[in-house]
Amino acid sequence: MDLQEFRDGLDGWLDEHEPELRAEFGPDVTLDQEMEHVSKVRRMTYDAGFMRRGWPEWVGGLGGSTLMRAYLGEALAYRDLIDPGIYSMTEVLAPTMIEFARPELAAEMVPRLLRGEETWCQGFSEPSTGSNLGSLSCRARRDGDVWRVTGQKVWTSLAQYADRCVLLTRTGTPESGHRGITALFVDMDAPGITVRPIRAIHGRDEFCEVFFDDVPVPVDRTLGEVDRGWAVAMDLLPYERSTSLWHRSAYLRQRLGSLLSSAPDGALDPADLGEVVQMTFAFHARSRGTQHRMARGDRLGPETSVDKVLLATTEQAVFDLAADTVAADIALGDDPGGDRWRTEFLYSRAATIYGGSAEIQRDIIARRLLDLGTDR
Amino acid sequence: MMDAQTAGLLAQSFESAFRHQNVTAVEAALEEIGWREALAEEAADVIPLLFTRQGGANAASGALDDVLNTALGLPADGDTAFVLPEFGTCTAPGSVRDGDLTVSGLGTARMPGAARAVVVAEDGGTLRAAVVETGKVETRPVGGVDPRLGLVTVEARGVRLDERVEVTAGRWADAVAAGQVALAHELAGTGRVMLGLTREHAVTRIQFGRPIGSFQAVRHRLAESLVAIEAAEGLAAAAAETLGPDRSDPGSAPLAAMAKAVAGRNARTVARHCQQVLAGVGFTDEHDFHHYFRRVLTLDGLLGDARTLTRGLGEELLRTRRLPVAPPL
Repeated sequence: MDLQEFRDGLDGWLDEHEPELRAEFGPDVTLDQEMEHVSKVRRMTYDAGFMRRGWPEWVGGLGGSTLMRAYLGEALAYRDLIDPGIYSMTEVLAPTMIEFARPELAAEMVPRLLRGEETWCQGFSEPSTGSNLGSLSCRARRDGDVWRVTGQKVWTSLAQYADRCVLLTRTGTPESGHRGITALFVDMDAPGITVRPIRAIHGRDEFCEVFFDDVPVPVDRTLGEVDRGWAVAMDLLPYERSTSLWHRSAYLRQRLGSLLSSAPDGALDPADLGEVVQMTFAFHARSRGTQHRMARGDRLGPETSVDKVLLATTEQAVFDLAADTVAADIALGDDPGGDRWRTEFLYSRAATIYGGSAEIQRDIIARRLLDLGTDR
Repeated sequence: MMDAQTAGLLAQSFESAFRHQNVTAVEAALEEIGWREALAEEAADVIPLLFTRQGGANAASGALDDVLNTALGLPADGDTAFVLPEFGTCTAPGSVRDGDLTVSGLGTARMPGAARAVVVAEDGGTLRAAVVETGKVETRPVGGVDPRLGLVTVEARGVRLDERVEVTAGRWADAVAAGQVALAHELAGTGRVMLGLTREHAVTRIQFGRPIGSFQAVRHRLAESLVAIEAAEGLAAAAAETLGPDRSDPGSAPLAAMAKAVAGRNARTVARHCQQVLAGVGFTDEHDFHHYFRRVLTLDGLLGDARTLTRGLGEELLRTRRLPVAPPL
């Protein structure tokens, strides 16, 4: 199936099913409901075949170009049917499993994620390990046929809903840095795991602390090679900056379009509006190029840090414009419209922090793309 | 779509052409490459290739004249220049009253040596294009901030016109779009060289016992510059895809203007960061940086500057209250 055929089929199907797929917004909509909604969208699009396109057949997919995955998320976000932050986690986690898990494990697990039966999370950051990922200390000790994991993760998105976790652990000496890290695929119902959600600035318990107390993880759940977990993380991060960001780009244009169509006369400054629209289109063009490179089978690497910088800058610009345009709604509004702009504005402040901060991205660009050497 | 090997060879030919020291020699080299034939057939591919290199070489030619003449469906040759709109704007430079033409615009480095110039003029509510002999208009070299670009002002009053062809508003918009895409690539090419020169300085200049490129403040400025260039180039490339006779699409005009605006604004961002990192040496005539900075300041004003295009876009969107369609995957 080519992209045009996929697009036509999906557009028609979405026109027909949009009422069932529509998300609700407002102060009364809980994160539980949002999660249920995304699972429903995944299930419906999987059953209709769209979600399976662009994934290998041996993990429940129907094969074909990854551009179809890109377009599915784009269409869902542009029609305002999903929260891309939750929906697009598939685009990061499934490729990691396909590349690094035992084939039987990936074949068993990935379909559950695509069908919306399961939610997975990504256990990377720790209390003393933010940008400096190579210093993580959550320990995995080999004990016969299992790893025994003890330590703590933080900023683990949606861990309270997660059935599985792609977890980075320290298997080398404490000083082994990025050479002594191993990635594991952990069942979140294993004994010894405690999840504590953190209420974030935008009023959602989206992030969690996760505590591991001598948690047994079968050794056949190791992703990639022992002590080579850094490669898993480095491989996964460019995915985080490709298809997911394309979906987010569609979401930003949808929000900007919504602001443009609903702003009171005189509220939008034309010069500010023009600049933000140009930024969203420049980001769109950049990410579009990345989607095509990925579809051609190019290996994505540090150049995706440019995409992340552009996303963060653009997302904040879109919601800064909203904050200038519907200032009273954001500051005072308790109706669904005001609540949504406020939530999104507050969440946009994280765009320069999560998934590698603005500073880390610029460090990567300086070192890897501009070849400026190290900063010491 | 041009294959990668052909594109690579053509790019090399353009690079050689732009190594010539004067406009006549550059134009002759472009003629030999067959640039105008390639333009007529594959505008979307060759415009980015040529203008990126023209910017990178800090060179001047009449290639922009060819782009506009070709897009208007008029004969394009090395003896025919094009009268560009006044600095900062993208409205037609001429007006016709009672068959007499008044012109106030700019010409590229081709203009002084050209036999004819195409003038697009407003004539009783419609646009018309006329080919006038350059002897009938007054051209004057622009000194200004970037004398090496060879721009001239073009002025004329009361030129009697016998023949002129109607230009539809859509055609004029397409021509302006093609020119804007060309200039956006030229600005991006200019930015890349500024960054390259500055990177070289950052890895060789030692202060406090280490290269200044090891200091985070410097690294982040250069990273920011690369992001600015890549963003401008990506949008310019997307706009280029919409050019050409068989890809005419109503969405192309806003995309090209956006690309030109982003390229102009981002090139200034790059210049600001680079000049700061180059510090003293970037403030001298002895380092090449200033040639590129001068070029940015001038190119930004051709076919609409960033500020005017950005405000214009915002005003247009507030009239329609709809975002333009983004290029599909």
